[in-house]
Amino acid sequence: MTAMQPAVGASTSSDMTINLGPQHPSTHGVLRLMVALDGEYVKSCRPVIGYLHRGLERMMAARPYRQSVPFTDRLDYCASLNSNLAISQAIERIGGMAVPERAQYLRVMLCEMNRIASHLIFFGTYAADIGATTAFLYAFRERERLLDLLEAYTGARLTYNWIRPGGVASDMPEGYAQAVCAFLDGFLKELDAYDTLLTKNPIFRVRTEGVGIISPEKAIAHGASGPVLRGSGVNIDLRRTEPYDAYPRMQFDVPVRTEGDCLARYLVRVEEMRQSARIIRQCLREMPEGEHWGKQPKVFRPAAGEAYSRTESPRGELSIYLVSDGTANPVRVRVRGPSFVHLSMLHELVRGVKVADMIAILGSLDTVLGEVDR
Amino acid sequence: MSLPPLRRPAPTRTGFECDRAFVAGQFAAGVAVLVAAIAVASALPRLPWRLVDPALILIGSHPVINALVKALTVTVFVTIHVIFLIWLERKFAGWMQARLGPMHVGWKGALQTIADAVKLLMKEDIIPTRADRVLFVVAPFLTFMPTLLTFMVLPFSETWVAYDFPLGILFVLAVTTNISLGTLAAGWGANNKYSLLGGARACAQVLSYEIPMAVAMLAVVTLEGTMSLTEIVKNQQHGWNIIAHAPVMIPAFLIFMVCGLAELNRTPFDLPEAESELVSGFHTEYSGMRFAFFYLGEFAANFFTAGLAVTLFFGGWMGPWLPAPIWFGIKTIAVVALFMWIKWTVPRLRVDQMMGFCWKLLVPASVVVFCATALWVMVAQP
Amino acid sequence: MSGITSFIRGFISILQGMWITLQNLVGRRKITLLYPYQRPDISPRWRGIFYLPYNDEAGRINCVGCTLCAQACPTGVITMTKMGAGKHASVNAFTMDLGRCMFCNLCIEACPFDAIHMSTRFELASLDRGVSLLTIDKLARGGADAVERTKRTIEAALEQEAAAKAAAAAAKAQAAASAQPTEGSGA
Ligand code: SF4
Ligand code: SF4
Repeated sequence: MTAMQPAVGASTSSDMTINLGPQHPSTHGVLRLMVALDGEYVKSCRPVIGYLHRGLERMMAARPYRQSVPFTDRLDYCASLNSNLAISQAIERIGGMAVPERAQYLRVMLCEMNRIASHLIFFGTYAADIGATTAFLYAFRERERLLDLLEAYTGARLTYNWIRPGGVASDMPEGYAQAVCAFLDGFLKELDAYDTLLTKNPIFRVRTEGVGIISPEKAIAHGASGPVLRGSGVNIDLRRTEPYDAYPRMQFDVPVRTEGDCLARYLVRVEEMRQSARIIRQCLREMPEGEHWGKQPKVFRPAAGEAYSRTESPRGELSIYLVSDGTANPVRVRVRGPSFVHLSMLHELVRGVKVADMIAILGSLDTVLGEVDR
Repeated sequence: MSLPPLRRPAPTRTGFECDRAFVAGQFAAGVAVLVAAIAVASALPRLPWRLVDPALILIGSHPVINALVKALTVTVFVTIHVIFLIWLERKFAGWMQARLGPMHVGWKGALQTIADAVKLLMKEDIIPTRADRVLFVVAPFLTFMPTLLTFMVLPFSETWVAYDFPLGILFVLAVTTNISLGTLAAGWGANNKYSLLGGARACAQVLSYEIPMAVAMLAVVTLEGTMSLTEIVKNQQHGWNIIAHAPVMIPAFLIFMVCGLAELNRTPFDLPEAESELVSGFHTEYSGMRFAFFYLGEFAANFFTAGLAVTLFFGGWMGPWLPAPIWFGIKTIAVVALFMWIKWTVPRLRVDQMMGFCWKLLVPASVVVFCATALWVMVAQP
Repeated sequence: MSGITSFIRGFISILQGMWITLQNLVGRRKITLLYPYQRPDISPRWRGIFYLPYNDEAGRINCVGCTLCAQACPTGVITMTKMGAGKHASVNAFTMDLGRCMFCNLCIEACPFDAIHMSTRFELASLDRGVSLLTIDKLARGGADAVERTKRTIEAALEQEAAAKAAAAAAKAQAAASAQPTEGSGA
């Protein structure tokens, strides 16, 4: 098979340049890939980004600290509670706010629920990328139930804005713990069924095994994080290595696979859903009584300085850097999004593979364009 | 410095007017056909049938008229059953995916396909400027015609067969190969890169999978000693092939099924129109009526392939109590459902894996099955 | 040999997958909601279209026009003009441009008088942009009538206050006046 592969780099008259996107079924948003093809082989690929650029960092810098939280919803819109957490932590650090213990548990629970929702989107869209439409709809069915739960708590289904500097915007509604547990029971059963439907499927296996291999060195060199890094055998999870909120008290495994291919990344994510379910159960079990919101200053004017918060979002390390000059608005807000970093690896990964593999690789990086373009 | 005007001069005639005239014309035609149909239907019982009958028989025996009537029947049947099949597919997919499928037009959305067909008919006919016009226009018919032709030899019952061709299987093989001509024409003619890739994939795929499919069919021919589809069914009077000759016919059927899926561009092999890669492959640029023809061809081919499987392996029209064509219909729809079931369960192969699967596995396996059938005939049927 | 076993295993797992899809085909409840005919169950916490509750006892909407909500809003959705003054204040214009709103809940949390709420109404789509501009008549529970009554209540209260003030002033003046003659008479 390798013998058939054309020389990489040399341009011949049979080259064909295709624009995948900005409107294309599997670029998952407004990403444009300028791909040079030689028949079915990808000779080069250049991602063109910026179609979703809204200047979020600048918008956040132009507003008082606490008003920047809803803008983070629009970063990684598949997991906006995790982005809320990142900015809230940064603001807490710069302003020296404390978070009550119950709020910490609530935050972890919400983030893990959102992680499941986000990984379900990955699962579904990845299945659809590979061609299994039915698995896509099954994943969305479960996600719908989860979103119902999040809606019952936060009142929104996508842009939650519920984790705030100093705590969580409200406590759980009544009977919420039981509802979440009931969902988790059903969900884990469904997840096993999806494993049978997709993970064990030989066609899915041959499409993903050995495709888009990222070596651990390469992953580290590119600054990959999250499931992409752990799929390459590097055991780094900020929830473990730099735990925040209630994570130090949580018992969970960090799934790591050494293959570094699309399947490894996929399996890491599927396993993470199970671990998230475990964490949510622990949260509900061990959550102390108390306040959901700490004491907040009326006017928030942190002293001049800077703060950096690192969190583990479903896609990897989502970090936010804040600089304050002592006024009510930050001077600079900078978001370090995992999707952007992972997308920067794409052109290396897809050189010389086939079109179908390129789609599989792009899907396995699980980029969200809201976070790439900001 | 003066800038050129931003607005182009207003068109003398807007598309809307043109559309309206078109719609009105279609509506009028529809009403006329309806009125005519009602008139004929109400007049029929009052006709002096005793006088007409011999005349009808006389006319019917005229070869040209006979052929025309048959051709018309087949065409009408193909068009009508496709409407049902598309509805079935959508319902099937919906239920399988925990959805409801179409629900609005008619009972449980039963008329949805008709509504869609009307919509497609009324759509603007777009031909890309840079397209190869001739190929682009001809391609949908090129894919549809072979499928239509194959229905000529498909036996719905002993007598319900448009043309009982003694070399039926050969005819089928010869005609279906031409479908790839249409897809290639579509892929090339549209002058779209996705279409081109799709067309190339379709051509490679259909041509490759013809071979194991033909060999699997030849295994049946070896078993039955005839190429006539009606004869093959009649020979299964004492048991369906797949049961009576299970050791060789089950593998042959499996090979036939897999190749059928590939010929029909259904999911493990839907590379030519792989949505997540090629948008929709060779028919990316098609819209309106031409697109409908691709659909028509695809679903008709679906029914035909299923019907062929039934004829070859499941005793064709045979069955107790019910009339023969109904049995044939039931079995065929069951096989079509099997196709759909597989389609909505599995993911898609990659292009090299698809070719490798054919040439490295199916072709040798089909040859083995063919030889085994020959042995079976020698051993089991002296 | 391993090729054959893995092939068989693969075949079996495809059959298992088909079993799962079959279960969904015939067994499982369908989740589609025929939306315009069937309505979804919406959580009472749903952050939908806004309203200003009308306080029957006080005969007015709660809003006092303090602009805290407008200040808390990151996107400048809310504009208002104040009416009245001091303790008896409200708004006679309160406009929300939902085209810019993120439904982030910050305005609701900012209000110290519990005067602005979010309802469970979620159907915001319309063919006309003007619809997303909610004036006070559309926002207040009870509509223009409630606004009118608020206005009357405030005006009455203000009048009363003015009258009371005037009366107080008059009383004061009277007291002063009555004090003067005594003084004068005393002189
Ligand atoms: S919900 Fe948010 S964006 Fe909308 S008006 Fe309130 S504060 Fe402004
Ligand atoms: S709604 Fe509340 S915060 Fe806004 S002006 Fe009225 S009283 Fe003030």
